[in-house]
Amino acid sequence: MLLRLWPENTKVKFMSFRMVALVASVVALVGSAIMLSTRGLNLGIDFAGGSVIEIVQPEGTTADDVRAATAGMVSGEVNINSARGTGANAVDLAVIRFKTQIPREGEDAESAQQNANNRVRAALTEAFPLETYPDFAIRSSAAVGPKVSAELFRSGVTALGVALLLMTIYITLRFQWQYALGAVSALFHDVFITMGVFALTGFEFNLATIAALLTIVGYSMNDTVIVFDRVREEMRKYKKLEASQVVDLAINATMSRTLLTSTTTLLALLSIFIFGGDVLRGMSFALIFGVIVGTYSSIFVASTVLLMLPSLDRGDKPKREVEGFQGVG
Amino acid sequence: MLNFPRWKVVLISFWLLLGTLLALPNLFSEGFLGIEPVDTGSQDPRDVAAYEQQLAEAEASWWPGFLPNNKLNLGLDLQGGVYLLMAIDPTEVATNRLNTIQADVRDVFRQRGDREGIMRQPFVQSGDRLTIELNEPERQLDDAVRRLRSINPTIGQTQTELFDINVSDDRFIQLSVPNSAKNALAADAQGKMMEIIRRRIDPDGVSEISITPQGDARIILEAPGEADPKRIKDILSQAGRLTFNMANTSDSAIRSAMETGRTLRGEQLVEQMEGGFILINRVPELTGADIVTANRCFDEANRPAVCFRLNGAAANKFYNLTARNRGEIFSIVLDDVSMSAPRINEPIPGGSVQITGQFTIEEADDLAAIIEAGELPARLNFLEERTVGPGLGQESIEAGSRASIIGIILVGIFMMIAYGLIGGFAVGSLIANIVLLLGALSGLGATLTLPGIAGIILTIGMAVDANVIVFERVREEQRSGRSPATALQAGYEHAFSAILDANVTTFIAASILYLIGSGPVKGFAVTLAIGIVTSVFTAFVVTRWFTVMYLRTARPKRLAM
Repeated sequence: MLLRLWPENTKVKFMSFRMVALVASVVALVGSAIMLSTRGLNLGIDFAGGSVIEIVQPEGTTADDVRAATAGMVSGEVNINSARGTGANAVDLAVIRFKTQIPREGEDAESAQQNANNRVRAALTEAFPLETYPDFAIRSSAAVGPKVSAELFRSGVTALGVALLLMTIYITLRFQWQYALGAVSALFHDVFITMGVFALTGFEFNLATIAALLTIVGYSMNDTVIVFDRVREEMRKYKKLEASQVVDLAINATMSRTLLTSTTTLLALLSIFIFGGDVLRGMSFALIFGVIVGTYSSIFVASTVLLMLPSLDRGDKPKREVEGFQGVG
Repeated sequence: MLNFPRWKVVLISFWLLLGTLLALPNLFSEGFLGIEPVDTGSQDPRDVAAYEQQLAEAEASWWPGFLPNNKLNLGLDLQGGVYLLMAIDPTEVATNRLNTIQADVRDVFRQRGDREGIMRQPFVQSGDRLTIELNEPERQLDDAVRRLRSINPTIGQTQTELFDINVSDDRFIQLSVPNSAKNALAADAQGKMMEIIRRRIDPDGVSEISITPQGDARIILEAPGEADPKRIKDILSQAGRLTFNMANTSDSAIRSAMETGRTLRGEQLVEQMEGGFILINRVPELTGADIVTANRCFDEANRPAVCFRLNGAAANKFYNLTARNRGEIFSIVLDDVSMSAPRINEPIPGGSVQITGQFTIEEADDLAAIIEAGELPARLNFLEERTVGPGLGQESIEAGSRASIIGIILVGIFMMIAYGLIGGFAVGSLIANIVLLLGALSGLGATLTLPGIAGIILTIGMAVDANVIVFERVREEQRSGRSPATALQAGYEHAFSAILDANVTTFIAASILYLIGSGPVKGFAVTLAIGIVTSVFTAFVVTRWFTVMYLRTARPKRLAM
């Protein structure tokens, strides 16, 4: 017997829970808004500017030695975290962070950041000479000036906005505007709550996170489209049924697929989260959370919004731009 | 839907074969080809070249030359290297450009033939503005403005003029560079600066650095394998303005200049590299533009030095200069620092000049590259620096590969559990999908980054979606009593519009990401976008082909799924 994540021929009345779901979603949205306004996002240097330098912590030394070596090199606080690399030859690491620099004499805001980075690198190389500490190495360093970080932030926000807009247009063209509004509400819901969770957990919010959010937008839209495609089909088939009953039919029919695809996607993402190393952890966390919220929202949020809108045109004949799959393959 | 005539089979096989051929060269690693790993300690270009030669020969021995041989480009986050984003300051380019036309402006007024000049005093340039005060404005103004207009140069290939002319108080003429001209200047300087950067960082043209423009006033430098961003920044932050000036080493003159902060007209106090100060003539005898080649050499004491050759005209000029000024001191000045100030003992013919000093070999190399590459039209401001060391890059590759393999295995096992044999077909087409994806990435010369690897893994998870949608539909159709063949037919027909819509939306997201993203994130967008195309192809064509072949040969009463 093969695995079934969802039994066949179910008739669960999903839409009778839609008020419960609505309340849950509103609570989550309000909670996210509170988190975002009180705790705020832990912006990485991509968006906040500043420097991150990751070094191999030489054997026999501690974070305090790193702190001593970098003391007085930069304006503001130097934040030093210990970490461990991944893989068979994992080594102890120290991650040194400092914020956007106050320019010293003769510097502008941009060169201040770059110079501070140079100073800290030089100080570290001096404090841990290779003769005494053969394992010392600078694994990575990054310095992002205030101008670039502001631009990256703007372009990230723009990208999310443009993505939402283009998808609304596409869905309006392929379906009707009610569907588009439902789908985009679900996307907004997913992105906002994922950002709220980033504020809650303090995971770093950076360019990779924006990439993850855009992917979530694509994935959640994907899920919603599958349900809506079915809703549209059943709407034409069962003209006598109430809209909410038709939506229930469609959700039941697509449920097995929704769960299966979510599962395979989550399996792949968990593999990145666990085995993919530190660099990908924040991104894969966002994706995992987003897939879960996206799956929920395509069932409850998108359809709930759809049912709240003025009645749908249920058409006399199926109006499909693409019929079947002839001519290809 | 279920017909697979021979030509279709040939077409499918062609694509799969092409993907495989494009993807295969990525397997050619040192271990795979049985070559000793390169000694990373040796940076000598000859060793590197010899190694690459060896690698190429080993590959050629069993991979025919006519087959594609592109490997995936690894991003800087995977192979290690330095990324620098630099900005050209348009105001500084304007200032420097205005500097260079001072002589023309002076000539405008000299041409009038009145020795006392029409200017009350030498004109004043402050930044990107140049102010001229007329002493007899009512007689001179119109003429002066007309003449200034005639020397106003246009910038590069554009029709934009360098300066605007404004008159105030009827006696001050002000030349200022408008923003439109500044932007045109920066855009014009961008190409030149990219070339100068290349010659400074990579004088021998051997390394794989990439220098790309961003917008009109920015330049991106990517130097794979480089681990020290400070050295690159140092080389690029020098303006590289080299001049030969006659110098005055009189102790009393220097002391008085240092104490009062004032010098004789036409002289300038500059720092000396080995410490102390020296007075030089403001007007240089020769400039960096007169230099043909520069390279590292060694002086009599076998210390690293920089040697360079002047062009013919400059060599003559230099000979005359040294003949005329025997016993005097001349100074080679780089960016307002006197690098060397030798006494002229005898006339120097031939135009060969040497700068000696306390250089390390590396410093001498860098200095030679800076001198030969020439002067930057403006300084470069560093906006962003990202460096990944080789250790982290290697670790990322390992982590990414591990996560991919585990991801494939997990998804594969799950599909087999959920759909049995038909699930196995989906896994087969999943593997075809990965091969096609890698083949497309290699063939297109796309850059693989760590987020790009995440994109591949994500594609693995999402690629089965199209299969799942179809399979679920086939299950439904079978339940309503259809035969395997008709169920399969109906499944593919009904699933198509949903799959198309669903993938177009993800494709939109990936495209936007590609447009706004930089570096690693762009890599993610590329793999995601290509992955969408290949996964729709494999789900709709490859899986279906496998399934149809199975239906034809085994003729099952019912598809177990």
